[in-house]
Amino acid sequence: MQMQHTHVCAAIDIGSNTIRVVVARCKPTDLDILATDEAMVRISESVNIDGKISPEKRDQTIAILHKFKALAEEYNAHPILAVATEAIRRATNKDEFLASIRDQTGLVVHIIEGDAEAMLTFYGATYELANESGVPTRIAVMDLGGGSMELILAKNLRVTWHTTIAIGSGWIHDRYLLTDPPTAEDVATAQAFLKTYIQGLHIKRFPPLLIATGGSANSLLLLAQRAFGLPTEHKVLTRDDLIRCEGLLYALPTKDIAQRYQLEPKRVRILRAGVLIICALLERFKLNELRISPQGIREGVLLAYAHSGERWLQAAQQSTMDVAVAHDSKTTIEPVVTDIPETFAQAGQRTIWERVQKMHNWHDEVLKNEDIEAVHKMRVASRRLRAALDAYKPICNPKAFKKVYRSVKKTADVLGEARDTDVMIANLQARLTNMPEEEAQAGIRWLQDRLSSYRQQQQKILESHLQNFDEDALKQQLADCFTEERKHHGKG
Amino acid sequence: MAKAKPIPQLDIHASNYKNACIIIKTRLEEMYSWDACVNDSNHVQDLHNLRIAAKRLRYTLELFETTHLEENASLRKEVEQIQEELGALHDSDVMIALLQLSLSSQDSEMSNEDAQSPTLQELTREKIAFHPALLSCILDPAVAPSAQERQGLNLLVTYLQREREEQYTAFHDHWSRLKEQDFQGQVLRMLDT
Repeated sequence: MQMQHTHVCAAIDIGSNTIRVVVARCKPTDLDILATDEAMVRISESVNIDGKISPEKRDQTIAILHKFKALAEEYNAHPILAVATEAIRRATNKDEFLASIRDQTGLVVHIIEGDAEAMLTFYGATYELANESGVPTRIAVMDLGGGSMELILAKNLRVTWHTTIAIGSGWIHDRYLLTDPPTAEDVATAQAFLKTYIQGLHIKRFPPLLIATGGSANSLLLLAQRAFGLPTEHKVLTRDDLIRCEGLLYALPTKDIAQRYQLEPKRVRILRAGVLIICALLERFKLNELRISPQGIREGVLLAYAHSGERWLQAAQQSTMDVAVAHDSKTTIEPVVTDIPETFAQAGQRTIWERVQKMHNWHDEVLKNEDIEAVHKMRVASRRLRAALDAYKPICNPKAFKKVYRSVKKTADVLGEARDTDVMIANLQARLTNMPEEEAQAGIRWLQDRLSSYRQQQQKILESHLQNFDEDALKQQLADCFTEERKHHGKG
Repeated sequence: MAKAKPIPQLDIHASNYKNACIIIKTRLEEMYSWDACVNDSNHVQDLHNLRIAAKRLRYTLELFETTHLEENASLRKEVEQIQEELGALHDSDVMIALLQLSLSSQDSEMSNEDAQSPTLQELTREKIAFHPALLSCILDPAVAPSAQERQGLNLLVTYLQREREEQYTAFHDHWSRLKEQDFQGQVLRMLDT
């Protein structure tokens, strides 16, 4: 049932890299956008490591959703629809994650499958084309996300084929591009992987127009506008523009690019992967340019709601089934293990990076001071990180390595002091049942009391240390020490 | 605590596997370098160093767990057990030292400042080093233990010393069994195949 009148609604998209909101006055075929906002959380970072959304990422997401809900309420938007995609689909603790969001924000988040994601993205990225002349009969839409990529083909603005490719810009970054800037060797490995991978896409005749949506595509356009003076109304990137963006992104460190072109450092790192993926696709399908759309899945959700009301999600799912039945169209391409063997240096970068993330995942839980196991888990993670640093020390620049090692050791020491005290207190507690003598009970309680007093002091030290612990600064130091050493070895 | 040995002969452009074997061998040698101390239960610091070396070996085996998957898992289990046995022993050593320090300082009416003096810290460092803030909490004269509490602390020391003997025996038996089985040789053979 189509909505008869325009209506202000909001849609939130919890993606693998970014969370976005759009508030708009909605009609089934058009939107009058009133407000948009976005924040980069990189949920996929923790999911890529152990399959779970970390407490830190959960809390960041909830804080952002509160903010976006308030923005929607400023415009009296109703309903506020929320969807989540690849990283959340893959997370083993997604139910718990969605329950926390529901409890703390009142928002019901729908996890949508790749098929529905493709369909909604297509609606959002192409609805404006209906008012344009000269649009080719056949078009393609690519939504490059952090955890996956949707590729959709359409004829006369009706989807005829789509595929979900289980690699995204975050995925490529976390595996191949961890140095800052990445070395020529890393770039070559990532390009070789992408080339092999994208060869697996068999499309007889690729449409002449490719529309790209998603954070990486839009940020590349922004970078090209700011760095090379492309007019802001210009929404097309040529292969030459992309090659220039690639040159810039791989020539300078993240902080320089971020400062010069007012981009978030996290976004700059991901963009390096984004530009490689887009270039690989253009090369594979012999295209010279692509058009960028700022709209995507969120706008698609609003259009679907305006068209089908409460049944918007079922309608989108039904559309994907209709396409599949008609054309046997749906394919999912999973990432394959590349034949290119990982060198010691590459394995070291990946492992250390993952372990820093894993240690940091416990940061907020330790600060909450609700469960002594959080201190234990973070300490174990810090030990594993130190073991990786010891093993992979030769791939690092010695001076930069010292800085990183000192920082990790300090964290491990502070955690260790707190954890050792927790263990002593717990052991004494167990003794209370084994030693019933009155004197023993009195002595044990005295010692427990003293240790508890010391533990409280340690908690303050731990909190002060962790509050000042800058994860991004540590990652930057790591990136520096990898890069410098690789250059030193003549491969930079 | 003994520092991890640097490993100079690694080639960062070689495969992860090739380097993993070199690192595991080094950490294994490091663990066995403490072998001479295992027959004396009073070598508190050296047993602690052995525990740290075992922990490093365990984490290194974990780090390269895709190398020799099945054998790696069973060998790692043995190292993990050694580490846990030595961990329990170390926890007892820490607690006993803390109790003895607390009782001896109270006996001699030692002040908090005295307890943190270089002489006493030196004495304690020989076995276990404590954080100065922990010493302050334990030795604060304002909250000194009563006679009954002191009796209880003495009982606890006796209990823990007995328990420590059992822990040491369990560890020693396990270590000896592994030596009989030529555990070190097993790991080296796994890496050479």
